[in-house]
Amino acid sequence: MLRTRGVRRLPRDVNIDRIASYTLRSGVLLSVSFIIVGIILIFVKGEASGYNISQVSDFHNMAINSKIISLSFSGIGAGLAHLDGFYFITVGLWVLIFTPISVVVLSIVTFVAEENRLYLIMAIIVLFNLFFAMLVIPRLM
Amino acid sequence: MNLVMSSLLFIAAKFLSIVVGGVFAGVLGSLTGLGGATVLVPLLTLFYGVPIIYATGASLISTIATSAGSASAYTKQKITNIKVGVGLEIATTTGAIVGSLTAVEVYDHKLQWIIYVIFGLVLLMSLIPTVQRGKYEVPQDRKADWSSKLFQLAGSYHDARLKKQVNYVGVRWWLAELIMFFAGVISGLLGIGSGALKVLGMDWAMNLPMKVTTTTSNFMIGITAATGSSIYWYEGYIQLFLAAAAAIGVLLGSFIGAKILVRITNKDIRWIFFGILSFLGVEMLLKGLITDRILIISSALEVAISLIAAVAMIGGLYVKNQRGEKIAS
Repeated sequence: MLRTRGVRRLPRDVNIDRIASYTLRSGVLLSVSFIIVGIILIFVKGEASGYNISQVSDFHNMAINSKIISLSFSGIGAGLAHLDGFYFITVGLWVLIFTPISVVVLSIVTFVAEENRLYLIMAIIVLFNLFFAMLVIPRLM
Repeated sequence: MNLVMSSLLFIAAKFLSIVVGGVFAGVLGSLTGLGGATVLVPLLTLFYGVPIIYATGASLISTIATSAGSASAYTKQKITNIKVGVGLEIATTTGAIVGSLTAVEVYDHKLQWIIYVIFGLVLLMSLIPTVQRGKYEVPQDRKADWSSKLFQLAGSYHDARLKKQVNYVGVRWWLAELIMFFAGVISGLLGIGSGALKVLGMDWAMNLPMKVTTTTSNFMIGITAATGSSIYWYEGYIQLFLAAAAAIGVLLGSFIGAKILVRITNKDIRWIFFGILSFLGVEMLLKGLITDRILIISSALEVAISLIAAVAMIGGLYVKNQRGEKIAS
């Protein structure tokens, strides 16, 4: 309506709303599967990351939480290889965090295709904020 | 049965009870439109004895799960306005960073009671616009302003109930942006989606149709919560066992809630849910004041005051709403 002239549309068979919808759904499913496997591992092994199950499930303990998890690729890889329940839950939760972000990335594709420069910039600012919160702020604190 | 076995069963029961609490929060959150986290934080702190740091951490994570879960259904129907969403997320994500850093400061100084008090107030205040919503499906037209054109706020969707294509033009983008910043701050500070504030921003400030507002707000909640979650993660506010149970429970509950919502014909039932929420709101407020010894009362009196206040508030809103409907019809 406002910018019909000169707008390049995506090919008809590429339905961005549908892709976004599938991305969200598979993200949630993948995340929940990892979380459930993590919980099962904790109960089967009776421990996670060297803490016994009573410590793991004690939510008054302010020392055993997300801070003890090593988020490096090698740390996560080792955790998963050792079938550490904490690391399965960690992967599940981070898949969940990245799921809505992937839709912003998808919207960038649409804005590029539509040559919508204003919204392209705005979407990039949103991504910048997200990664600022993830990568920069933890190093400042 | 030996000791190890019985303690394992006890922990399994603990896990399941949190899942059940999450389901309850998810159902209530989706029936009232406030989102699961708004119910989950009071539930975990007041009834499960979870420290508020971990309760907000688990809630923020659950918020992403429910947002993504229901957004997957909405975006497919092409009601969600991605442009409005992305544009306003600039403000919500900035707000979420400010809010979660404020939370870090608050917890570092052991000022937990402030979070309780703000949570109670936000919960009670967000009930008012939520109760009054839903009178008009499509807003009255407003003249497009400079921001409508610059930020391309025109859109349309197919309304299945009205059986027609609805065209709309958003206005006052700057005002919505301002409200969204505060919505982001609240989300980061309290670990909730603050959907009520987001809806207010688009409903009232931008004059968008309710369906567009609700679905777009839902889409934005996930990204706002993702921003806050990463800061919560590095600060150690996420107790993995608790967050896992809560996320599964709330996700399940919001699916059940969405199914029930379609079937509820008697609108008056919803007033009971609003009653429960205002009870939780007053309880949070009082708990904060008691923790800081501003208020010294027994716990029985605390519950009594919450009950009376909740009944008074919901009664007042109910009467006001009924009268409004009579005038409208």
